[in-house]
Parts: sequence; C-alpha cells; structure tokens
Amino acid sequence: MKKLTQREKLFNFGISLLALGAFPLIWFLSQAILFRELTEIVSRNVLVVIGIIVGSSFVFLLFNGMERLIRLAPRERRDSLEARMFAGPSLFMIGLFLFYPAIRTIYLSFKDRYGKSFNGVENYSWAFSDTEMLVTIRNQIVWLVFVVFFTLLIGLIVGWLSDRLNKGEAFFKSIVFMPMAISAVGATAIFKFIYEYRPPPLTQIGIINGIRVSSGEKCSNNRIIEGVLNDYADPSCNRAIGWLQQRDLSNLQIGETLESGGWLSNLLVNFPLNTVLLLVIMIWAYTGFAAVVFSAGIKAIPADIMEAGQIDGASEIRIFLSIVIPYIKSTIIVVGTYMVVTVLKAFDIIYVSTRGDLETNLLAVKMLDEFSKYRNIGRSSTVAVIIFVCVIPIIVGNALREKESNSL
Amino acid sequence: MTRNNQKWYDKPFTKLILVAIAITWIFPIFGFLLSSFRPPEAIKRTSWWESLYTGEYWTELTLQNYSEVFFAENLSRSFYNSLAITIPSTIIPITIAAFAAYAFAFMDFRGKNFLFMMVVASMIIPLQMSLIPLVQLFKSGIELGGITIIPALDINGTFVATWFAHTGFGLPLATFLLRDFMMGLPRSVIESAKIDGASNMTTFFKLVVPLSISGIAAFATFQFLWVYNDFLVANVFLGVYKPENLVVTSHMSQIVVGLFGEAWHLRLSGAVISMIVPLIVFFSLQRYFIRGLIGGAVKG
Amino acid sequence: MKKRSIFGLLLILSMIAAACGGGSLEGEEVFITGALVGNDAAGFQENFDSFTEETGIIVSFQGSDNFEQEVQIQMESGDTPDIALWPQPGAVVDAAQRGYLVSLEDLGVDMDEYRASFSSYIVGLGEVDGAHYGGAHAFNLKSIVWYQPAEFEARGYSIPSTWDEMIALADQIVADGMTPFCFGMYSNGASGWLATDWMEDIMLRTGEGTATYDKWVSHDIPFNDPVVKNAATFLSQIMHTEGYVVGGTDAIVSTYFGNAQDPMFEKDANGNPGCFMHRQASFITSFWPEAAQAGAGSETTVFPFPAMDDGLPKAALGAGDMFGVFNDRDATIEVVNYMLSNDFFEAAAQRPDNSRIYGHVDFDTSLYSKDITRVLADTITGALAENAFRFDASDLMPPEVGAGSFWKEMMNLAVEGPGYIDTALNNIETSWP
Repeated sequence: MKKLTQREKLFNFGISLLALGAFPLIWFLSQAILFRELTEIVSRNVLVVIGIIVGSSFVFLLFNGMERLIRLAPRERRDSLEARMFAGPSLFMIGLFLFYPAIRTIYLSFKDRYGKSFNGVENYSWAFSDTEMLVTIRNQIVWLVFVVFFTLLIGLIVGWLSDRLNKGEAFFKSIVFMPMAISAVGATAIFKFIYEYRPPPLTQIGIINGIRVSSGEKCSNNRIIEGVLNDYADPSCNRAIGWLQQRDLSNLQIGETLESGGWLSNLLVNFPLNTVLLLVIMIWAYTGFAAVVFSAGIKAIPADIMEAGQIDGASEIRIFLSIVIPYIKSTIIVVGTYMVVTVLKAFDIIYVSTRGDLETNLLAVKMLDEFSKYRNIGRSSTVAVIIFVCVIPIIVGNALREKESNSL
Repeated sequence: MTRNNQKWYDKPFTKLILVAIAITWIFPIFGFLLSSFRPPEAIKRTSWWESLYTGEYWTELTLQNYSEVFFAENLSRSFYNSLAITIPSTIIPITIAAFAAYAFAFMDFRGKNFLFMMVVASMIIPLQMSLIPLVQLFKSGIELGGITIIPALDINGTFVATWFAHTGFGLPLATFLLRDFMMGLPRSVIESAKIDGASNMTTFFKLVVPLSISGIAAFATFQFLWVYNDFLVANVFLGVYKPENLVVTSHMSQIVVGLFGEAWHLRLSGAVISMIVPLIVFFSLQRYFIRGLIGGAVKG
Repeated sequence: MKKRSIFGLLLILSMIAAACGGGSLEGEEVFITGALVGNDAAGFQENFDSFTEETGIIVSFQGSDNFEQEVQIQMESGDTPDIALWPQPGAVVDAAQRGYLVSLEDLGVDMDEYRASFSSYIVGLGEVDGAHYGGAHAFNLKSIVWYQPAEFEARGYSIPSTWDEMIALADQIVADGMTPFCFGMYSNGASGWLATDWMEDIMLRTGEGTATYDKWVSHDIPFNDPVVKNAATFLSQIMHTEGYVVGGTDAIVSTYFGNAQDPMFEKDANGNPGCFMHRQASFITSFWPEAAQAGAGSETTVFPFPAMDDGLPKAALGAGDMFGVFNDRDATIEVVNYMLSNDFFEAAAQRPDNSRIYGHVDFDTSLYSKDITRVLADTITGALAENAFRFDASDLMPPEVGAGSFWKEMMNLAVEGPGYIDTALNNIETSWP
C-alpha cells in the first residue's frame, strides 16, 4: 500500500467524519425539526398521512446526498469511504440511541438516589447483598436456562420434523409461530386466564384449577345438576391454587411428599414454580421464531449430504445428530445468542403479570421499579449496568466465533 | 427442491409429535377466544369447557363484549396513530440497516470487525436503559463541556421521536440479521458484478437488495409486529396525557387493564381485538416471511 | 403544503394576538395526569365541565395505571403535564424535593383558607421545608369492615365493637362450620398492602394511638419496637388462626384483593356465604360484582374497625390523592384554585358509580349519590375535626419501606406464620434508609 500524503489523509478523515457524524446528524436534525413543525401546523389526519409517506422516505435523502459527496473523492479511496458511508448512519444511530445512553447510565450508577452526588460503589454492593436483588438475579438465571434451552430444543424438533412432512409443513410451523405476532400484553392475558385463581366457593374459570377442583368423587366445579349446586368444599377435593403466587412446591401434594427427602428433594421443593410458569409464556412466544429459522437452515443442507446419510442407512436420529446439527451449528448459535439477549431484556411479561411480586422479578423490571417505585436513579442505573455486564461473555464468544470464521 | 421421493419421512410418529406440539400451542388461545364471545356473567358463572360440554355455550353466544370494548371513544384515532408510528419505524431502520449490512458483508474498511462487534454488543443494551437519557436528549439536546453537540429539539410527544427511538432500538438486530443474510448470498455473483465495474450503489440496489428482499421482508415483519405491539416506547415518547396521542396498545391497556375488578369479558375481547392487526399482517406476509428466512440459502 | 403552512402561521399569529390581547385564558389548555382510571377518571374530568364553560380553560385529564412510572420519566425529561395527581403524598414530597414542583404559596393560594378547609394534618402531608407542595383532593376510608346485615341477623350474630368481640364472633362462625373473614392481599406490584392497612388500623388503636402512629411513620420508634410487634401479633391472629380466612392461610397471598370479597356474595351448597367480614377500604365497591354494587350500603354495609383500647379516641385511617403543580401559568393557577374550592367535586360526587370522598370540610355531602358514601364522608370529617384521622402509613414512609419491605415482609409473614414476626420486623427495620 502506498503511503498517503498529508493532504489525502486530511481529505480522508474529513469525509469519514462527514459520513459517520455530520451527515447522519444533519439528517437526524432536519427530520426532527421538520416533523416538529409539521405537528404544530397541520391537522392530525394530514400529519398521519405525511408522517407515513415522508417520514418513511426521508432517510433516502441521506444516502442520496452522501453518494453525491463520495463522487468528489479520489477514485482509489472511494471504496473505503463508501463503506463508511454505508455503515455510518447505522453506527451513528446505534451510538446516539444506545451507547450514549448506556455510558450516561454507567456514570449515573455511581451516584445517589437523586443522581446528584457520587456515592462510590455503594449501589453495587447493594445490588449483590440485597435479598430482593439476589432473588431477581436467580430468576434471571432460571429464565436464561429454561427459555433458551426449550426454545432451541422445541424449535429444532419442530423445524426438523415439519421438514420431514410431505404436507402440512407450513401449517405446523405457522401454528407454532403465530404467538410471535401477539403482543406480550396479549400473551400474558391469555396465560393468566389459564392460571387464574379465584377464592372458594367461586367457580374456577382457569382451566388448571378447574380440573384440579373437579377431580374427585364429591367434587365439582360448581356444576348445577338438576337444580342442585355441586361444589368443591368437601375436604377430599383438591384445593385451587394461585399458580403465579407459588414460590415453591410446598403447597402441592408433590411438595409434601418431597419435604422429608435428601438434598435433591430439598432442591426440588424450592423449585420456583411461579417463575417457571411465567417463563413458559416466553417459550410459547419465541419457539416459533427458532423453529422457522432452523427449518430454513435445515432446508439449506445440500440434498446430496442428506442422501449420503440415508444411503449409509443411518437412523433418523443419527442423521439429525451427526449431519443436521453440525450443519446448522452457526444458525443455532445465532438464534441462541438472540434468545439470550432477549431473555436478559425480558420485561413485558413480568411487567403486566405480577410486576415482580412474590419473587418473580427480572432485572429489567427491577430496573424500572427502582426508578419509578423507589425513585432511586443511582440504583436503577446500577441494575441496568448489571444487565449490560451479563452479556459480555456473549459478546466475547461472538467475537471469537467471528475471528474463527474469518480465519477460515 | 422436492423431497417427495423420501416416503419414509411421513412416519406416524413424526406426525404425532407435531400434532401434540401444535395442540399445546393452540390450546391457550382456544379457550381464550371462545370465552370472549360469552356474556360477562356467564364467564364467571361457569367455566368455558363446562359450557361447551353442556352445550350452553352455543345458546348464549354474544358480540356484546366486543362492541363494549370497541366502541370506546376514538379507537380509530389510536389505530391511525399506530400506523403512523409503525410504518416509518419499520422502513427507516431497514433502509439504514441494509446499507450497513452491505458494508459489513461485502466491503473492506478499517475497524470493520471492531465496529461490527459494537453493533452486536449494542443488542444487549436494554431499551429501558436508554429511555431516560433519550427523553432528555429529545428535550434539551446534548452538551459536552459547554459545546452543544445536539441542540434542544423539543420533539417529545411527536411521531418523529418514536420513529427515531424505534429506529435506534431496532437497528442492532436489523443490521446483524441482514448482514448474516447477505453473507449467505453467493459471493461470486457480487464479486463478478464488482469486476464488471458496477459501483457499490449499483450493486446494492440492482443485485443485493433484490436478492435479499425476502430477508428484508422477514425483518420488516418482525419490526412491524414489534413496534405495533409495543406500548412502552409509545407511552414514554408520545406521552399518554394527551388523548390524541394514544396508540392501539396503550389505548387497549387503558380500556382493558384499567378497568376495575374482574372485568374478564373486557380483558378477553380487548386482547383479541388488539391481536387482529398483527395476526393479519402475520398471516398475509407469512409465506413471504418464511421464504425470506429460507432465502438465505443458495438458490437452487 | 405551502398553503397549509401559511394558514398555520396565521393561526399561530392569531393565537399570540389573542393571548396578548385581553389577558383572557379562553382556549388555554391545562393537562392533568394521575392514576385514576375508568369511572373515577371520568368523574374527575366531569368536575371541570362547568369550570371550562365559565373560564374557557380546557382541562384534560388522562389517567393511567402506569402513572407513577410515566410521571417519573416525564419529570426527568422536563416534558411534564401541568398538574399531576399522585396516589401518595410521599411521592409529591419527593418530587418537590427534587425541585420539580411549584409550591402552593408561590402559586398564590390562600394558605389559611386551604388549611381551614382541609385540616392542618392533611395540609402538612405535602410540606417540604415550610412550603406546601401537595394539594389535597379526595380520600377513601379504610377503617371499616364490610358485612351483610341480613346474614348476621339470620344467624343471630351481632356487630363486634371491640377486637375481642370480633375474635369471639369469628370463633363462633368457625364453630358453626363457616368462614369468618375474606382476606386477599395479592395486587400486581403492590402485593401486601392490605396487610399493611390492617397493621396501621391496629397501630392507631393500640399503644398511645395516633401519637405512636406518628412516631412509627417518622421512624422515631424503630420498626421492631414492641408496640409494632404487638400489632403484628394481632394481625397474625387473623391470618393464621385455622379456619379464619377463606381458602386457608395459603390463599391470602394468592387471592387478588379485587375479588377477595366475592365469596361474601356467593352462597355455597348449604346456602352459606363464603365469608362474613371483609376489612377493606371504601373504594372497594367499584371492584364488586355488578349485582352486589347496587346493594352497597344496604345489603352489604360497614361497621367501624373495632376498638382495641377504651382509652383511645376513635381513629380513622384513610388514603387518597394529592396533586403537585409543575408550573405557574395563569391558567394552571386558575385550575389549582378551582381544585381546592368546595364545589370542585360536585359533578363527580353525583355520579352513581362514585365512591370517592372529597376532603373539603365544607363540601355538601348531600350531593353524594350513595348513602354509604355520605356516612363514610361524615366519619372522615369527624375524625379530621378531632385530629384522629391518619393517612395510610405505607404511603408516607420512604418508598423502600412503604412500597418495598413493608409490603414484602407482610406477604412473607402471611406465608411463614406467627413465628416469622420478629424476622419480618427486623428485616423492615434494616431496610429503612
């Protein structure tokens, strides 16, 4: 590579700066100001129409303008400048909307409840000693393990098996995928209806409790037979259970039989039932995503490799383990990474179901609790930083993988 | 490619597992949907499976819950607002991300790997972490050492604030996924286009975008559903104290969750209504969407 | 586009002209947010109809059950409404300490009149360094127990006037094969507040009554003081005595407070109601099944929370909203003065679904749509006059306690049983900032 002259270097730097900073900034500001003014001037309906049309297309002006600018650059430098220009706006927006706030939050995490004076690492020592925080961290780990494992597993099963069908593949995949379209608020409402608990003698309308209380000879879920009310007050009947309020298994029959056992049953009796029932909602919602992506990966396996496996007479499970899994390994890692990140950010489900009560809290909700319920800016920022730190292993892992695939 | 010749695939066992999974998945919605057509008192009086069993369900079917929830004031306005937020919030990040993904996939520049790692790293930053600094940014800009970097914009409570926010939050995943998708395109085709002297802009628009259209559509569906279903960002950046700023989700959450007591009839019908648009989008784009994800594979 | 922007410019100019012209506030908008939703929100908004007609100031109220979080973010961003109606005075004080609010003195509110119309105790709740930031609004009464007179009469039960009588009645009901109390303290994100209410009512009736209560709130006595332990023991007697509560002790934490009372309205196979007594605030009627709501005050009515110490005056526990003001625009000041006047609540009071009680002592209680509301309102004003009204302690304590450890440890106490009392109180004491 030939040495750059001073002038070229300066020129290079100037254009990079324009591409990465100034141009996106101008676009950002002009769109902001344009629509702020429009909001004041035009009526609501017009604003909606203009918003949809102009709001969507305004960004093309940015790339168009940058393209014109690039043409001024010397030909041999154009490529790398253009690369910066292409990547620039994305990096600018990510920087301004994610990194800048993140850095500010890290800064605030060393401050007191008002965000005014520094209080050292006090917030951090609180985060790892406060019982509620420790429970929250435990829940986060439970969520990570269960949600990631089951979405990947069921996703793989559905992706693999539906691919084996001659007919109905799309049907099965879309059923499993459908919950992706439903908002977390909706999904949580759906599951709350299943877990619903009502105090006796009310009819149990949640199906789990409904089945529980009506199993037994003298038990019925308030069914009226020939004008006589049949209820579940008899001592032989199962009690209805507030599923989202059970921190362990001690209220279940299984819990009672486990009580006296060794370490394993001690572990089981502390099984955080409500947390697990809540994370089921997330598995329900995200498995379809995994299934669809895996199915795509499986379809990309060249037919000759699969056929070779079949000719060798390998069993289906063998083909799955020794051909399919290795072939779509990178897809599994991508989906896995995405799921880990999504679980660490999980917020809506807890927020609209229990709001973290009875040891169901997750870090993202805890963060907002600290901000709005306890009005402590410092601690809230600290929790945010912890979420952030949790993913560092993932970043590192991804970096290594990236390096590996580049060196191939 | 067809696999019709692989007759041993259609084993009953395979079907059994799939049917079991499908039933498990559809079941939660089933009872919920059925119950939404029952009168308010009936929902609480008997369980829905009981009413199906006795046949009572069919005699008391009603749309009353839906009309009660739907004719709440100005739901149509909230619906337009949702569209005005969702459409630009889908197109802007995809445009920006597609360009960036192209750069990361096919171009060489200094610090590329590092910058891409930053994109990946940014995926973890929880959006909750960004909310407060961003609201402050939109209100009064950024100042660093007395120098104004971004002036006071005062755009909280306008659509543009939500577009930017959703763009910022959606970009990391969009860039990441689209780059992954583009990496899967046949490199030789792009290389040969470059050798033929096509500029990057031409290659991008004439070759890469058409080839990636299914990947783009796939992400568009994701982003659309995400933005449409979101209520946190809308509440924070649009504000809820001006009724004309409500979106469907925040409106629904006010109607549905905000009501007292055991208003299951409203919760059920309200949740079902709020699911309609995303489900229509999903089912109409689904084939495209799934093909989009599959499209990452080499075309046969 | 061009035409529109010229039109817009003209519109803005004409508005400026109007604003500068006569000093009239016609067309000025004032935004209020709060945690009121549903009927209460509609009632609150309706209060301003006549005001808007008179002054031309357009007031719009937007309630949200997510209010506390939203207003925090709005304050941080500077994008606040004009007035916010908080469900806890503690939050108003906190916002004032952070410098977001304008004091009522600075708004030119006549403080003597304000004090006279809402009592010094209430006014003092919004005080920071001698200035007052919280505007009083509506309250609810918590020191009440709901019951059904017909069911009592049919079984020969009489209304308990002391704690011991209540326990005796409860034992009688258990002996008769039924369940005395409805008790449910689950509440998304706020689970446990029902038990803290019980604690507060007991605290007001034991020790030195309100004096102890005030010391407890201000942490002049520690949370694990014997007086507090005594109160917790009384509460534990209700929660943990076999057969006292619907569904057993385990159900206390599982039952959503909003349908905790439903067993009272439901008959079992023998024709007995699911429970006989339910200690819950006056606002709970809005959570009742529709059929039961009509009978509020007649079929289902209240007796006062029983006395525990003859030497103490009858105390009343309550809670309610306080508003904080973010700016001193003329229109805002108009609204604030209106919100503190005695005719402010007229429209809301007349709504058939209203269960909120306006705090102004001169308010015409005959306007309330329901008899029961009138009775409860008189109880509140009576207690205020005798300085025996106290605000919900958990709303006054620091949020780490009042919305944190106090709630949480009461949930734990319900689950763990009486042996947990000391641990619970010690944990709360440690968490006090």
